[in-house]
Parts: sequence; structure tokens; C-alpha cells
Amino acid sequence: MGLMPFSEEDSPVNIREGSGPATSPRCTVNSASDSPPRPRRSWRPLAILAVLGGVLLLAALGCDPDAPQSTFGVNGPVAREQLLLFNVLLWTMVAVFVLVEGALLYAAIRFRRRPGDPLPPQTHGHTPLEIAWTIIPTILILALGIWSVFVLFKLEPGEAIAQAQARGTEPLYVEAVGHQWWWEFRYPDADGSGKLVTTANEMRIPVNRPIIMTLKSDDVIHSFWIPKLAGKQDVVPTRANQMWFLAEDVGMYYGQCAEFCGVAHAQMKFRVHAMEDPEYLAWVAGFGQPNELSAQAARGQLVFLGDGQCVTCHTVGASDTVNEVGDGVQQGRMNTYLAYNKWLNKPAEERLEDVRTGNEPPAAFAAPNLTDLGLRTTIGSGLLDLNRETLRQWIRDPDDIKPGNRMSELAAIYQTRTDHRADLSEDQLTDLVAYLMEQR
Amino acid sequence: MVTITGVIPRPTTYSGLWGWLTTVDHKRIGALYGVTAFFFFMVGGIEAGIMRLQLAQADSDLVSAEWFNAMFTMHGTTMIFLVIMPFGATFFNFLIPLMIGARDVAFPRLNAFSYWTFLFGALLMHVGFIIGQVPDAGWFSYANLTAAPFSVGKGLDIWALSLQVLGVASLAAGFNFVVTIINMRAPGMTLMRMPVFVWMTLVTSILLVLAFPIITVALIELTADRQFGANFFNVAAGGDPILWQHLFWLFGHPEVYILILPAMGIVSEVIPTFSRKPLFGYPVIIFSGIVIAIMSWAVWSHHMFTVGLGPIANSVFTITTMLIAVPTGVKIFNWIGTMWQGSIDLRTPMLMAIGFVALFIVGGLSGVSHAVSPSDFQQQDTYYIVAHIHYVLFGGAIFGIFAGIYYWYPKITGRMYNELLGKIHFWLMFVGMNLTFFPMHYAGLNGMPRRIYTYSEGFGWEGMNLLATAGFFVLVIGTLVFMHNFLRSVKKGEPAGHDPWDAPTLEWSISSPPPVYNFAEVPQVKGQDDYWITKRQAAARGETVPAEPHIDPSTVHLPSPSYWPLVAAFGTVWIAGGLLIDFGWDYIRFPLSFVGGLIAIIGVIGWSNEPPAAEHDDAGHH
Repeated sequence: MGLMPFSEEDSPVNIREGSGPATSPRCTVNSASDSPPRPRRSWRPLAILAVLGGVLLLAALGCDPDAPQSTFGVNGPVAREQLLLFNVLLWTMVAVFVLVEGALLYAAIRFRRRPGDPLPPQTHGHTPLEIAWTIIPTILILALGIWSVFVLFKLEPGEAIAQAQARGTEPLYVEAVGHQWWWEFRYPDADGSGKLVTTANEMRIPVNRPIIMTLKSDDVIHSFWIPKLAGKQDVVPTRANQMWFLAEDVGMYYGQCAEFCGVAHAQMKFRVHAMEDPEYLAWVAGFGQPNELSAQAARGQLVFLGDGQCVTCHTVGASDTVNEVGDGVQQGRMNTYLAYNKWLNKPAEERLEDVRTGNEPPAAFAAPNLTDLGLRTTIGSGLLDLNRETLRQWIRDPDDIKPGNRMSELAAIYQTRTDHRADLSEDQLTDLVAYLMEQR
Repeated sequence: MVTITGVIPRPTTYSGLWGWLTTVDHKRIGALYGVTAFFFFMVGGIEAGIMRLQLAQADSDLVSAEWFNAMFTMHGTTMIFLVIMPFGATFFNFLIPLMIGARDVAFPRLNAFSYWTFLFGALLMHVGFIIGQVPDAGWFSYANLTAAPFSVGKGLDIWALSLQVLGVASLAAGFNFVVTIINMRAPGMTLMRMPVFVWMTLVTSILLVLAFPIITVALIELTADRQFGANFFNVAAGGDPILWQHLFWLFGHPEVYILILPAMGIVSEVIPTFSRKPLFGYPVIIFSGIVIAIMSWAVWSHHMFTVGLGPIANSVFTITTMLIAVPTGVKIFNWIGTMWQGSIDLRTPMLMAIGFVALFIVGGLSGVSHAVSPSDFQQQDTYYIVAHIHYVLFGGAIFGIFAGIYYWYPKITGRMYNELLGKIHFWLMFVGMNLTFFPMHYAGLNGMPRRIYTYSEGFGWEGMNLLATAGFFVLVIGTLVFMHNFLRSVKKGEPAGHDPWDAPTLEWSISSPPPVYNFAEVPQVKGQDDYWITKRQAAARGETVPAEPHIDPSTVHLPSPSYWPLVAAFGTVWIAGGLLIDFGWDYIRFPLSFVGGLIAIIGVIGWSNEPPAAEHDDAGHH
């Protein structure tokens, strides 16, 4: 164990002093057997254990399975497996905590110095004890560690395929693309017939079907996390990480970016709506089907395409060219983005000249696909409940709601007014909101 | 130049500002480190307070997202590089020569250079506050958030270049203490008779020397990306952001043990003294410290479990990380073994040391729970990790540091601190620390990510955050009590005598505060816990051991003060500082940086050419 070389030094007869008498005289006089017996106070360890137990009981009340992002209120096999592992670890740790802190407290109280106490026995160590408290934790840790390796492999996508087969179904593949600071969800084959669906910030999935996520980033590192369904996996540019989860119950699950990704990291949330299969398929079937627009919405569409210039970055409808995320396109958009950002840093007169001569670089950015916006529950990447009023606030002054967001920073309509609000009339805003809310 | 720098005589004054600027005395340099570290402890504490106030309630808009991000970046950077590490250096400097029976460190001028470089680097780190561009990518500054276009302004340049300067200071200090401990021990002090604090300093210094080159490489790459348009981490040009993470954590995990091993060394001195028993399992504690240091190189990827390294890598790093708990646990068992059947005096240093053990157990256990990668997938980057790191670094390192401050206060100042105020400080810290950081475990397990500047109502995080903010104020009161006690006792404390604790190590055999030459006579070391042996042998003869009598300092050869470390340090920091400057013309930074290099070279030439000693000086040293 590596302790053996020192074992002779730990033996009580070992002499540490390099010269002189074997031990100092006082040491020999005050060996353990000679010190007066201390009064027994056997209630003390019990009391310590009781206090520690009470603290832990109170502590357990802090775990709130009903909290929206609680890792205790889990659903589905992935998060459940992780919780089981954590619980076993937790209670093992609690046992170790009580034993070790108990021993520490006991020693600190039981062996307190009182006036006139003689020098305590000058022990230097105890080899069997050292070996014991090396080997026992090692065995405990290796046992837990080996079990955790088995759990680890269950979190691989291969397990999702096995689970799907066991349930007589196929896994659903979804791509999540992290953007500063929102989520894009792409279903390469949403209904089994090859329909491509691209949506944002709210993901719809069928229950009891394993979902295999492929995670890509458009800019910096993010982390994809739905606490109640599965632990997190980082979203790394240059990589396509995979993870899987499965929701057993119909309902809404909260997600949030977990890797610091810049100014609005706190506001990069998303939601997962788990629904019965028919309901999910109906959503896929209806996705991108042209709607009959009201007169007001039709006027809003003109704002969307015209004065608002929303269409530069946002897509509405099934056609999805701007938001295409293939590797080449992602690279291309990054270059576009870099070029535009560089241009924004040029002196104002030069930019003005570029605009006059038509040399202004294109300002195409990844922006949420708005095809099914009217069906969503939030706006601003899980930030505000979606209704006409919040949507209007969002469009009018997104920076007020979510500091740092790219729309406010880059879209042309926010650059003309000194207060950086949208350069649209109240009527135009009303029409635009009507148009967007009719996208379902 | 050689002649010019060669003929400037060495400074002769030992008093006043000039005396402090040119000092090479390890005790004075230790004091400078200590005062600087405590100043930045308050700076980092204020930054923590701003974060705690912001997070005290949901949807708070006390500070902006940008400010919050700057605060947690500077808080982490400050507490790690400008507080805990220099506090370690404080104890290394003041104590190592005293504990091994030496007159000074091996390279006294290099020691002064370390301090000045550290101080200038620390100040450079804070110039962002003056120009309004504070580093804001976290103390870990993950690529590619640190690259254009995601990071504009000079914040990250300041961060990378200052850290580079601090690395120079740490490397110089690391080499200095390795050489000092290997070469300068008094006769009879074999390696296995060295106090555990000296051992842990040796292990820490070796870790410093090996770990800092890695962060140096990473920072050079980051600086090259930002200053010269290189593409190490630039995704658009095919760079790999994960490269940064490997380099950063390959440095970063040994760094964690650089932070904690000195505190473990301090505790290993305090517990035996106040238990009146030799350290239980002395060789095992040393051996486990060495094992921890070696294993710290094999666990870095546990910071990256969610990056997508795959189940094989994650399995390996899960097992290695869990196993590092074994030598750590062994240390804890041996400290409890030392207290067992001892005669325990619960003075403030001992309370702090017991607090260290008690809180480090919590941090260690939560550490095991996220060493297990499948479990960590839920905890990574949540407040659970924030709780863990503060249990090991505040509950661990800071409690260990305060144990050391109280323990050696009488040695350093010659006076005794107020015991009652010390105990009040301990209990305020202990209660405040648990109130601040224990609720964070719950916030994290209930799904609160780290580094969010605000959160919405209804996620069940309000209560825990409010408790944590309340705990912060308890810590503030505790720190004020400490400051009052410290400053008042320097002037008005009872004279402490040379050995108030009946301590086992050599530094207690000389008067308090120690004379400038440390030991009048080079001690002959008889065994482990040498001063106990001396005292008990004397007691057997019915005698007491007085402090070593003072002698005429002019009969002792000591290194003379020098201007050159200050010059070389200023030049070194100016190499970095120059790169940050532009007056509208971007390329001005290159000549300015070059001037810094020139000053550093002049400093080094002057250093190597100055006369070996002053011809005569105030104190009459030769």
C-alpha cells in the first residue's frame, strides 16, 4: 500500500530523536496507562450523533423535487439513473460525514485540556490503523467507481437505440444548435417521412420515445441541460456531441444553458413540451402549412418583409434557407458575421460612405425560425410568457428585456433611433404582432 | 551599461519606505506578501458582496449582466491568484528559513523580485477598472468566448497578460523555495525530520514549477490569438476551443492543490502543538501529500466531464478523481488521530484548524459526489459546484490561513492577539461560511446554474440565495473583528514571549519578533519536533529554555538590500503592460512593450554586477 516503508517508524518502540536518550524522560513517565482515567461521559457521542442527524434531517428538507429545474423531481430513465447514483453517493457520504465529523467533534470535546493535565501519551502512529483507513476507503471508492462506469455507458446513445427497440419504436433524432443566446431545434426527419422542421427555444417531443440529441454550436460553448430529463452535455463549436433522454410523462420541462457563454447567459433558457404521439405528429404535419391571414396580419406581413426587415434573419414558413445549419453554411455565416462586426467598428463616416455606395456587407445572422411562434409559450428564449403585449414589448425594445441580445445590437431598425427602440410606428407594431401571433 | 550598473553601490538603509522597497529580508518580504494578500482579500470580498446582493432576490437589477460577469471573473481570479497563493507565499517567506534553521532563503534578491512582480501583476490585473474594460470571461476564461468577435475591448488582454506576469512571480518563488528547502537546512535536519509545513511547501513549490509553464503556454496562445491574430482557439479558422480547456485544467487542477497543500501544512503544525502530541502518522501525512501532488496531474479532465470526451475518458478520470480522495482522507484521519487522547487547548489557531478539518470533510465529500461523472452531469456548472469549491477553498484554504495567522501572530509581531476576539472571529467565520455556502448545494441540486446574473421567480432558488447573502454579512462582521483584533494587538497586545504555545519547531526557539539574522548560532537538529526535544531534555534536568540570546548583528553576514529586483520586476510587468496601450495608433504597443524588456534587462545586468555587499550600512552588516 505504500505505507509499509514507514511501518517501522510507526511502531511505538521507534525512536525519533537522532541522538540522546530513547525518549525524553517526561514522555516515558506519561505513558497512556499512567494518566489518570477520565470520567466516562458516554452521552456525548450519542448527543453529537443526534445533533448531526438533526442537522441532516433539516438539510434533507432543502431538496425540492417540485422546483421546475430540480434534479430530484426526475422523469425518464436517464435522469432517474443519475439520481439513483447521486442518492447512493449522497447517503454513503452522509454516513462517512457522520462518522468522521463525529470522531472529530468527539476528540475535540473529550480530550480538552484541563488545568494540571499531564503530557499526553506521545504516540507517533499506528500502522494497522493507517492500513485500514487507506484500504477501506479505497474499496468503497472502487466499488462506487466501477458501478458509475456502468451507468456512464447507459447514458450513451447506443442505449437509446436499445431502449427504443425494447419499446417497439425508433429513436427521434433532434439537433440542438446553441446561439448567443437562444436555442435552435432542428428535426432532420420529424415524422418518419423525411420532413425537416426547424424551430426555436421550444422543443416538442413525443413521450416514451428516446430522443437522441446532436449538439452543435453556432458561436461559443454552451451546455444543453434539461434537469428533470437528463444531465447536461456541452455544446461545442467544432464538435457534434450526442446525448439522449426520454420523457415518460406528458408535460413541460424546463431547460437552461449551463456553460457561461457571455452577457445574456442567464437568459438562454428553453422548454421541452412532451406530448402523446398523435399530438406531436399533428404539430409536425401542420408545421409550415400556409395560414389564412387576417387583414391586420396581412399588413403585418408587409412590415415583416418591408420596413421591419425582419426577414433578413428570421424565417417564417417551411422554406428554410437562411437558417440552414450545415457545416459549410455555419462556416459561411460565421465569416459573414465576422465581416459585418468588423464593419460596424469602422468610423461612422466610412460606414455611411459604404451604405451610399452599396458596399455595406450583408447582415445575415442566425435568428430564431418563427414558423410556429404562435404555438409557443415564451418569447426571448424562455424569458417571458408569450402574448401580444410581451411580444410587442420585445419587438419594441428587446434590449430592455434581455441585455446584450443580438437583435437589438445588429438589426437595422434598432440602429436609427437614439433610444435604440424599433423604428416602427405603433400601428406597424400592432400589425407585426398580429402577423407573428398567427404563425401556428 | 555594465560599468554604470556595476558602480551603483547597494542601498544602505534598512528603515523607512526606501528600506522596504529595497529589502531582501525574507521576513519583511513575507510581511509585504501578507498585507497585499489581505488587501486583495477585501477587494475579492467586495466583489463577492456585489454578486451576493444582486442574487439576494429574483429578477434583481442592482447591477448589469456585464458588471456581474466582470465581478465573478475578478472575484475568482483575485481570490485564487492574489489572495490564497500570496497568503501561502507569506507563510513560506516568513517561516521556511526559520523552520529549517537558515538565515534567509537561497536567493534573497530573487525573492524580492517575486514579490514586486506579483504586486505589479496584481495591480495590472486591476487597470481594467480604470479604463472601464474589466475581464469578464470567468477566471477560467474558456475559449472561444475569449476570441473576437465574442470578446471585444481590452478586458481579456489585461487578464491574460497580468496572469502571465503573476506566473513569472510564482515560478521565481517556486524555484527559490525548492532550492532553499533542499539546500539550506540546518545540520541534522534530514528530510524526514522536517516539519510538515516545510514538506508541504516543498511539494507545493515543485507543483508550482511544473504547473505554471502549462498556463504560460496557454496564455501565450491566447495572447497570440488576441494580439497577433493567431488561430489557436479561433473556431472560424479551424482552431480548437477544447485545447484551451485541456491546457487550463492541466494547470488548473495541480493549482487547486497549490492552494490547499500549504493550508494542510499549517494545520499539521497547529494540531500537534495544541494537542501536545506529535503528529500522528507523520510519514503517512507527508507521503499522502506527495501522492496527492502526483495524482493531481491525472485528474484534470474531471472539470470537462460534459465536454464530450466520451465514456472511456470519463471513466478513467472518474476513477482517478475518486481515488485522490483516499490520500486526502488519510490526512484527515491522521489529524483526528493526533487529537485523539491528546491534551487539546481550544485556542483560536486550534479552532481554526479544527474548522478547516470539519469544513474540508464536507468539501471533500461533495467532491467525491461529482467526481462520479454520470452524477456530475447533473451538478456540473451548477451552484452545487460553487458550494464545493468554497468548502475546499474558503472552509479549507482560508481557515487554514487564519489558523496560521493566529498561530504565528505572536512570533511575527512579538505580541499576543486578543483571545476572546479571536474566538468571536472564528465562530462568526464558521457560522457565516456555512450560512453562505451550504444553501448553495440546494440551489445547485434544484437546478440553478452558475454564473447567471439573475434568475426568475418560482424556480425555488430565492430562499437559498437570501440565506447565502445573509451569510456574507456575517463573514463581513467576522473579518472586521479580525482586523480590529489584528491592528489593535500589534500595538497593545500583551508581549508574547518567544514560545507561547510550547511549540515543537525551531522558529519558536528565537525571540519574537525574530532578529534580522534569525539564528545567532546555526541550530543542531536532534530529531523531529526538535524544539520539544530540547525543552523536554532541559525539563528533565529541571531547567527551562530561554529564547536564544541576541547578538550584535554586525557579526553576522546577511545579504544587503538591492534596488535591482524592483527595477527588473518593473521592466517585466511593463513588457505586458506596454502591449495594452494604444494612443489611437495600435502599433505603439510594440515599442512600449520593448522598452519594458529593456528595463528588465538593465535590471538583471545591474543585479548581476552589483557589489556583493554594501561597504557599510545603517545596521552595520557585513
